[in-house]
Amino acid sequence: MLPTPFLSRASWIWSAASCVALAGALLAGGTRAAATTAEESQADADIARRYQLRREAVLDAAIATLDPADPTKGWYLDVAAALQRGERREAALARFAKLNEPVPNQNMFWTYPMAAVMAAGHAGLDDASRARIRELWKTYWPSRGDTENHWALYYASLYIAAQGLPGAGPEQWFNGKSSVENMAEAKSYLEHWMWVTTSYGQGEYDSPNYIQEYLIPMSLLAGWAEDPAFRQKARMMLDYLIYDYAVENIDGFYGGAHSRVYPRQIVAPGATSTSAIGWLLFGFPGQAADPANTLLAMSGYTPPPILERIARDAAHRPYVERELKRTRWRMRHAGPDSFVIGDKRTIPVYKYSYVDADFVLGSTQGGLLQPIQQQTWSLKWRPADRAKETANTFFSVQPYSSPVEGTMFFSENADVVTDLIARSKTDYDAEDKLPGGSPHEQVFQHKTALIGLYDLPAGNRFPHVTTFFSRDLVHTTEDPSGWIFAQGGPVYIAFRPLAPGAWQPNDWTGLLRSGRGGWIGTGFAEWGSGHRCFVSDALRNGYVVQVAPVRDFKSYADFQAAVRALPLQFSTTAAPEVTFTALDGSVLRARYGAVPSVNGQPVDFAAWPLFESPFAVEKRGSRKLELSYGGERWLLDFTNNLRGEVSGGAAK
Amino acid sequence: MRNLLTTLFALAMAVAGTVAAAPALPAYDFYAAVAMTKAQKNSSTPADSGLYRRNAAGAWHHFGPRILGVSGLAVHPADPRIVLIASSDGVVRSTDGGRTWRKTTGWEVADVRSIVFDPVQPELVYAVTAWGPLRSTDAGATWQLAQKGLTLLFGQTMVADAARSGRVLIGTEGGIYVSRDAAQSWQRAKFPEVPVLRLTQGSSDAKVLLATTLGRGAFLSQNGGESWTPVDPATAGANLYAAAIAPQDAALLALGGWQAGVRVSADGGRTWTDRTAGLPVKNVFVLAFDPGVKGRLWASTFEEGTFYSDDLGRTWQEGGLYGAYGYDFIFIPVARP
Repeated sequence: MLPTPFLSRASWIWSAASCVALAGALLAGGTRAAATTAEESQADADIARRYQLRREAVLDAAIATLDPADPTKGWYLDVAAALQRGERREAALARFAKLNEPVPNQNMFWTYPMAAVMAAGHAGLDDASRARIRELWKTYWPSRGDTENHWALYYASLYIAAQGLPGAGPEQWFNGKSSVENMAEAKSYLEHWMWVTTSYGQGEYDSPNYIQEYLIPMSLLAGWAEDPAFRQKARMMLDYLIYDYAVENIDGFYGGAHSRVYPRQIVAPGATSTSAIGWLLFGFPGQAADPANTLLAMSGYTPPPILERIARDAAHRPYVERELKRTRWRMRHAGPDSFVIGDKRTIPVYKYSYVDADFVLGSTQGGLLQPIQQQTWSLKWRPADRAKETANTFFSVQPYSSPVEGTMFFSENADVVTDLIARSKTDYDAEDKLPGGSPHEQVFQHKTALIGLYDLPAGNRFPHVTTFFSRDLVHTTEDPSGWIFAQGGPVYIAFRPLAPGAWQPNDWTGLLRSGRGGWIGTGFAEWGSGHRCFVSDALRNGYVVQVAPVRDFKSYADFQAAVRALPLQFSTTAAPEVTFTALDGSVLRARYGAVPSVNGQPVDFAAWPLFESPFAVEKRGSRKLELSYGGERWLLDFTNNLRGEVSGGAAK
Repeated sequence: MRNLLTTLFALAMAVAGTVAAAPALPAYDFYAAVAMTKAQKNSSTPADSGLYRRNAAGAWHHFGPRILGVSGLAVHPADPRIVLIASSDGVVRSTDGGRTWRKTTGWEVADVRSIVFDPVQPELVYAVTAWGPLRSTDAGATWQLAQKGLTLLFGQTMVADAARSGRVLIGTEGGIYVSRDAAQSWQRAKFPEVPVLRLTQGSSDAKVLLATTLGRGAFLSQNGGESWTPVDPATAGANLYAAAIAPQDAALLALGGWQAGVRVSADGGRTWTDRTAGLPVKNVFVLAFDPGVKGRLWASTFEEGTFYSDDLGRTWQEGGLYGAYGYDFIFIPVARP
């Protein structure tokens, strides 16, 4: 089975209605909206008050979606919110009945909203609704899916649903297991996932889209798990996941490299769940309806104030954040670099982000780190205009599709796996695609400089490297020196291709603009038009990227002059190699197939930390995260199940 | 097709109380494990999926729970009420002939690709998954991981040796592995280190096994899998997904694959004939000789339907399941009154 796209679709459908309601709720509650501006007090009480106002606005909007005169409006989570609040009960029940008329087919994307209604709306359900709930859990077999987010959604919702049907025997469940058995299986998996994630890093790491699919299940557990220790772990995981985002954000945008991102969101980073979540959690611009927000709001979870202080930090920027992640489990073609966790193979993912006050440049080491939708590196900057489709990003991709990649992560047969992937991720097998990893790519970053190297075998399906030039870039200049200069808002960009290339419009095959790309191309005219790509088709290839904040130079010309003066040597006659002296004076050396070095010191991947920034330093396998900001410390200790402020060496 | 057939065939014969020289062929229920991928648009989830059973009129009806990724079915040789389904969600078991079902694996088990009962000791059951083999000692009620001796764990095909209880062969990402202790440990077979896509064993002669591979064609064993010989040079570089041995004649063989169509040998693999003409595509994932209709060969194409031939592939008739991506054909004997 292949990855399922319908969460995002369902969310968008849901969001379309809820966005209107959310906007209305915010306008109606002027003080609430006003309470989310950036220049706010960072005192604990003020952070908590503002969060509470946004939280209530989310719930107001969800409930407003329900129309007593029209039971076709609203979604499960709107029903849950109404029943939890005790508002619009009749409309909620009518909508719930309507939603439950057809046999479900959304698998784990049905289980989680259903579990949310059962948990949050428990007191407001009527007998007919309860009967239908029992019937559906008995007769409909939701698939567990095949991605890490699928499993988190499936098992968290199975746990909560089974908890809500205490004493139900095997005959009352689709899978022939009793409520006790289902809860035990679900808890066992979720605790395993937490152990792996806090020891080796998340598999589906740092996705601006799929962060939603982790906050949702953890919110379900954090809000409604009756086992206090398990509930505590879920709250800790929420803190953990939210920190992971907060430490690499720029004004709410999720910076750096990502495990998964869709064509629209890779071009327009604000059009992601992250933006909506960043608004709810920290008051960043970008408010929008999102199921994760509704679940978070209903759950009663409140982020510890230190997370907002880190997310909004100005005092420590710029800083370097290093993180250890891992690939999704590899069932075939695991490769010599793979290692085993439990009985499954993965390889480490080394994340590196330079987090500036105005931008984030972040990367991974390249290679096939995630199926289909990987983003190996990106630059995102703080835009002047926060329109939803702002394309405040710059990145490259080596378009790659192959049965090797497909069968690495999916159990389908080699001759059909690419075709089946492209049934939903329609750009997967397109030469002009923008997301995706490549086994022929190696990326190396040191602070504001980045080197990408490529050694493509002859016969590679798409033998080129694509670099995305957003319509939001200004002053793009092809310099006689070989550098291409551009400015993205508050950041200057210098891009030096190692081989010639040509300009193409993005989506040059017309797959997405024509509609042939299906749902992933929806709204292309707004987000996809007007960009262009620099496409270089040498097999041995590469580039150097040097960025700098505009504030560091008197003028654009000064930046260009400074970059032109930087020593740069490169060769692509054999394995591509680059020696580059960056703006900060560091000498970066990278050769395809070899360990890169900075000032002659090889990068020590073996010692790569689980987290390392001014706010947290954790080693691989630590199973904890101790955050610090100023004199404040916040401990998440998954071994001892401790969460709280640290005082005198112990969590309060 | 599973070598379970051997035992079931014998069982059915015993039930019928006939060991005559030319017995009437027993009746079988015919199942197909498929995913209806042809109708899959804008979704990675097939329009429907699971087991389909063919009725006497030739129509297919869904059987069992609607689970994604169903790739196989096994029935207890001595107690047909015990039925096991291999699915993406794990092993699903019925103890009442399919009236009710229970998933008998935990979260650790996913992507089960093939499942077989030991023909002699049916309390022993073996399964291969994309993440490694499993074994059960209680007819599939509980399961244990069975990875000892394996480094590459992916598997999608297996045979429980009809001649020797406890001897199991699995096709992995890196060739064939053999267990002689009921899947408690594994040793490499003398077979090329290539992905093995299908393993099947002769019913009338358990020494005959046929294996197909990704990119290396097919291999035949005449000694129960102790050694293997490449067959059909014309498909030596092909991705072959389908292999079948006629239940009544172990010299009658069939192969199928991607862009390879259907290949038939009537002389124990010495010569092969292309029997693709009449099929809408050359992409074949499953082949099986029908044990209930002598000489009938079934073929499942990729999304273009199921077909059967009563003249060893010279001509083909439509057999339904248009749009399906087939994983396996399974024949379960039905005891005649």
